[in-house]
Amino acid sequence: MDWKCAKCDVELKPKKTLFSYLGNTFSHEVPVCPQCGEVFIPPELAEGRMAEVEEQLEDK
Amino acid sequence: MTELAVVVERTKSVCPVCLRSVDARIVRVGGEYFMRKQCAEHGKFSAVVWRTTTINSEQLTINNYVGSDDFTTDTIDNYMMAATCCALVEVTSRCNLCCPVCFAESGEIARAEPSVDELYGIFKRLCDDGNTFIQLSGGEPTVRDDLPEIIAAARRAGAETVQLNSNGLRLAREPDYAKTLHDAGLSFVFMQFDGTRGDIYERLRGRDLFADKLAAIGNCGAAKLGVTLVPTVVPDVNLDNVGEIVNFALSRSPDVRGVHFQPVSYFGRYPSPPRDRDRVTLPEILRAVELQTNGRVRITDFAPSSCDHPRCGFHGDFVVLPRGQLLKITPKYDPDACCAPDAHIKNRKFVSRRWTRGDEEKTADNADFSTLDNFAKRAASHGFTITAMAFQDAYTLDIARLRRCSLHVADASGRVKPFCAQYLTRV
Repeated sequence: MDWKCAKCDVELKPKKTLFSYLGNTFSHEVPVCPQCGEVFIPPELAEGRMAEVEEQLEDK
Repeated sequence: MTELAVVVERTKSVCPVCLRSVDARIVRVGGEYFMRKQCAEHGKFSAVVWRTTTINSEQLTINNYVGSDDFTTDTIDNYMMAATCCALVEVTSRCNLCCPVCFAESGEIARAEPSVDELYGIFKRLCDDGNTFIQLSGGEPTVRDDLPEIIAAARRAGAETVQLNSNGLRLAREPDYAKTLHDAGLSFVFMQFDGTRGDIYERLRGRDLFADKLAAIGNCGAAKLGVTLVPTVVPDVNLDNVGEIVNFALSRSPDVRGVHFQPVSYFGRYPSPPRDRDRVTLPEILRAVELQTNGRVRITDFAPSSCDHPRCGFHGDFVVLPRGQLLKITPKYDPDACCAPDAHIKNRKFVSRRWTRGDEEKTADNADFSTLDNFAKRAASHGFTITAMAFQDAYTLDIARLRRCSLHVADASGRVKPFCAQYLTRV
């Protein structure tokens, strides 16, 4: 599905982006507004891989 | 010259002879910490509890424990603060080994064993109380031919995780046995593994069992049943082998899920009354691991347990990469997390996730593990923990630690009690 930035009204483009959690940093390609840099996290990423990694890093 | 002894904590303990409640102090003398106490009838006692320059401590002391001043290990459940993380259920007192050191004093002679139905009743009461992480222990549980039915009964009762504590002998000698247990619902095996040399087993277990340990790991690996290696660490026996144990375990990832060190403690069966030089404390194990792995694993890769008292255990969390490199992912210790009401649930999920073999999505050996996808896959398939738990005995028992304990033993009615209170024996 193609997404547009509501503020800039331009199409989001996939871009390698860095995510940090509990001192660890990972990269993943996500849709980003080429104008203002706003990042969109698709729900399937938030509830999928991102949640998995979050769980892996959480302390006992 | 006598060194200055500084009192750092006041607590309660027991007299090792009569097990009556006594006042106790944790004192520092140079770089060592001792528990010192006196019984009106049996005199003074001292035992080393921590060897390093700083001690893991917490504000919780006898001053803010609720209840009567005297406690007994029978009434400790009135003072327990921590919820159950893992509930241990003894399924037999029989064992196919007769080790010189054994907390459960197991042997060939059987006490009455609970039937599968009786065990189901215990499991059900535990699970109904929310205790869904069950450890099957003994004795040696695999001497029971109905162990698969016992595992299935635990699952039927609602257990989310079923751990087997075993010496691995039957898993080694019957190649299909691991699969049978896995199919019945077993989550993973905690396997006694004291070292990578035969002489270590001869001294601790009476005979060389190393080949059996290798075979058991191989059979569990083939059945995709996770194995965590559990060394009992004894000075002058295998403290010099802890680095080798870690390197060996890492080389067997993902079949081996981790190493869980247990410094020797003196309850149940042991050859002679302990001197301080017969004790090894948690910081010494960490130092030995760092030195003997040449820094592959470092002290700074570890944090105290946030589920139990910080002097009861530590943990380090890793992901093993294709050529044996380690990603170190232990978060910093958060003392505020220790008393969080859900600490036991977090701990339960953490250990269960790490010790159980997960989805094994393949990653290329030259993959970039800093990407979210590859890290997630590798962490699920090759997660690895190095943990430890220091059990207490009649010399070292500290009520502040008991009260924070989350490893509990269930009795026939499904009531639970801290492990170190259950197995405490007088000298």
